[in-house]
Amino acid sequence: MSISLAEPVRSGRRDDVRSEAAVRLDGVTKRFGSHTALHEAWLRIERGEFMTLLGPSGCGKTTLLNLIAGFLEVDGGEIFIDGSLVTETPAHRREIGIVFQNYALFPHMSVARNIGYGLRMRGVPKAEAARRVEQALALVKLSGYEDRRPRELSGGQQQRVALARALVIRPKVLLLDEPFSALDKNLRGSMQVELKEIQRKLGVTTVFVTHDQGEALSMSDRIAVMSAGRIRQIAAPDDVYRQPADRFVASFVGDANVIPARLAERRGDMAVAVLGDIAVTVPGQPLADLSPGAPVDLFLRPEQIRVTDPAGAEVLPGTVTAQVFQGDHIDVYVQTPAAGDRRLLVRLPGPEAAGRWPVGARVGLTVPATGAVAFPTGGDDA
Amino acid sequence: MRRSLADRSLSVLGRLLVVAILGFVVLPAAVVTIAAFNSKAILSFPPDSLSFRWFRQALTYDDFRSGFRSGIVVTLWASTLALVVGAAFAFALHRYRFRFRSAIEGVLLSPLIIPHFTIGLGLLMLSAQAGLPRGYGLVVFCHVVLVLPFVMRSVYISLENLDLRLELAATSLGASPGRVLLTITLPLLLPGLVSGWLFAAILSFNEFTATLFVTTQRTQTLPVAMYNYVREYADPTLAALSVIYIAATAALLGFANAYLGLGKVLNVDQPR
Amino acid sequence: MTKRPFLGWFVSPAGLVAIGLVATMAAVFQYSLRAHIPGSLDAGGFTLANFAGLLKPLYARAFLQTVLLCFETAVLTLLLGYPLAYALVRIRSRVLKATILIISVTPLFLGEVVRTYSWMIVLGSNGFLNSLLLGLSLVEKPVQLMFTPFGVVVALVHVTLPVMVIMLAAALTHVDRDYEKAAESLGAGPVRAFLTVTLPLSMPGIIAGVTTAFAWTFSAFATPQLIGGGQVNTVSTLVYQLGFASFNFPFAASLSVAGLTLTLIVMALLKRVMRPLERMGGH
Repeated sequence: MSISLAEPVRSGRRDDVRSEAAVRLDGVTKRFGSHTALHEAWLRIERGEFMTLLGPSGCGKTTLLNLIAGFLEVDGGEIFIDGSLVTETPAHRREIGIVFQNYALFPHMSVARNIGYGLRMRGVPKAEAARRVEQALALVKLSGYEDRRPRELSGGQQQRVALARALVIRPKVLLLDEPFSALDKNLRGSMQVELKEIQRKLGVTTVFVTHDQGEALSMSDRIAVMSAGRIRQIAAPDDVYRQPADRFVASFVGDANVIPARLAERRGDMAVAVLGDIAVTVPGQPLADLSPGAPVDLFLRPEQIRVTDPAGAEVLPGTVTAQVFQGDHIDVYVQTPAAGDRRLLVRLPGPEAAGRWPVGARVGLTVPATGAVAFPTGGDDA
Repeated sequence: MRRSLADRSLSVLGRLLVVAILGFVVLPAAVVTIAAFNSKAILSFPPDSLSFRWFRQALTYDDFRSGFRSGIVVTLWASTLALVVGAAFAFALHRYRFRFRSAIEGVLLSPLIIPHFTIGLGLLMLSAQAGLPRGYGLVVFCHVVLVLPFVMRSVYISLENLDLRLELAATSLGASPGRVLLTITLPLLLPGLVSGWLFAAILSFNEFTATLFVTTQRTQTLPVAMYNYVREYADPTLAALSVIYIAATAALLGFANAYLGLGKVLNVDQPR
Repeated sequence: MTKRPFLGWFVSPAGLVAIGLVATMAAVFQYSLRAHIPGSLDAGGFTLANFAGLLKPLYARAFLQTVLLCFETAVLTLLLGYPLAYALVRIRSRVLKATILIISVTPLFLGEVVRTYSWMIVLGSNGFLNSLLLGLSLVEKPVQLMFTPFGVVVALVHVTLPVMVIMLAAALTHVDRDYEKAAESLGAGPVRAFLTVTLPLSMPGIIAGVTTAFAWTFSAFATPQLIGGGQVNTVSTLVYQLGFASFNFPFAASLSVAGLTLTLIVMALLKRVMRPLERMGGH
């Protein structure tokens, strides 16, 4: 049952030839009774990469994290860490560090003993352990807090101790399970920045789980978007945002305006969708199964739509129904026949927009000729 | 806050009621305390003159002394064994699925329903049939069986209140299941374990009915010795002993409440 | 990765104790079906005579007496215990809470003998109550309280009260105070709020308390023995008599078996009767 971590990979795949990934999941499946939480997940995380698992609750992201950690056993597939097969290895021998949402600091130990726990389990000599604990505290900017108890610390401080505890053992992979959701907005922002700095400094491979797409977009090297136990897309934040692979990703990541349109023709690997007299070029791949004339849904980000006068060609007529002040910009909701019952969301910078397009005003919406995506109608929006 | 006369009188009535009931609870203890100081050798009330002689008698009477010794021996063995067996089983019950789980749990909880005299009688007959000696072993086993349900319940409740993620964190840091148990689980369960042990010890020390059946002249515990004394003599010695008992128990419980929070053990604490 | 480390170690000791207990009960059942050999601790061959002997009026009366005592005790204990439990849970002051808790619970830890003995002094002809009554000239001669069912019930209630308070308090803790406040905000006075909201919601605790009180009282021996003094016969006192005075273990065993069966039947009945009430508690 216990396989040494130094055992070479036996899969015989092409992957052996490339450099070893820090974490690799080959077709990993996990079932709970009759419910399949994870369907054959294939994932490859490179050394030093910050990978975020993003999705709504129940999508399987925490299950995947627990499988990497070894807290759950797989029902199918294999897991490799640093090239070694760890599927059968128990959790306490996997050399991972994990940070929980509720910190999970040992209440009966001081900060120093909490951080030093992993070192004690590995038999690190006292003097060296003390030194490394000090370094870890300095890393998270909590020097001097050695003798405090967890209950004396604020939420943010506890989270930093949890981070120090996970990092001091120099793990092969750092796992974080929605670590910042319990913190208030401002604290969350600064913790995100700190975490990113520490991660870059140490170069530790990091897997971060969250349901907050803003968090995912700002922190990650790559994002794996998940829903209903499947990975929908693995790409850099920019690609996930601008070129979502399916309508779930398009709706879940960032705000999306959906307008019904029609597939007019294909041009190479692009396609043209038409909305009345407006033509939009979109990636052709998602529409590969459709023939010209088929209905499609056009997905537009709020910043891609512009508000102008209602008169004019290639403009969608509409009425402003609401304005929501957001500090640095204004969210304007527009009702337009082209989109049926759904309100379109447009973002306008600055305060002048409020005066220029008040509630009830008739407006014209322009859509960009390129940069949008379209998907076949039907299917889940998340 | 305008409170009607009806509301206010209701609240006063309620308070009086509670005080009256508490008075009922305290009555025997108060009465026996006063009776213990009676200088005369009759069980009467109120005493004409006061004296400490019955306290001296209680503390020097041979049967009481040997009963106390036997009681301590039995109690220490029984509560410790019950703690080890009960805590281990409660742990398994809380975490694992296994065969015979409900059966064993049901059997071990049955002393809550089965009368103590039945268990005492049964052990007596079992020892006669199986040729077992009627020594301390039998008494200890009897007590373990009787206090085990309470220990199991106390430990189970403590386990429910333990955050599992602390153990997961320890595991992720490299602790094997055994080390997790020793460095995380047990230290955090300690208050529950101690109060469970204390509960068991007090119940065991005071257990009478079943003990009456399974002890002999040699192994009799203090309650049995006290019972035998009452059947023979009518003087206030036993009153004095009762007073000592009450004082000791109240002190012990007060201490336990201050340091461990009796409320948690008995599951009566307010959640907020 | 083993899913269940140490399982064997944790379960075996408990398993052994369970086996011991099962053997004990098996001995009781076995003896109840065997003949009594006077003067010896051994038993003879298979017979149903022991159970037949239970039908004699003495024993039938004792059964009835016991059940009656248990019911009276359970009900009275409920009536006295509920206010205490309510006060314990609702009072804010930690000091008062602790005081009520310690006073209510201490009797549990004093043991049957001390408690019963104390009641002997209260109930005796020269005891506290009679001294009070005589002193206040409310009676001319001492009232007989000892050796009566009344005296036994009073003492039994006292003995059972701590258990009832604990169970009721545990259930009341889970009845959110907000429910009462909501009821009062909707116009229910404190009495109606209690009757229509708190009481139904605490039903599960009441049921648990009453069934436990019944079982507990059935098991009581010192109290009916010392205060009843042979005039009040319960199943427990008879078993003791048969076992230690007559050494008739088989008969004592059959009495125990009958008693146990009775307890189980009564408790099952109680549960059945109270089930519609339990649904009121929304659990």
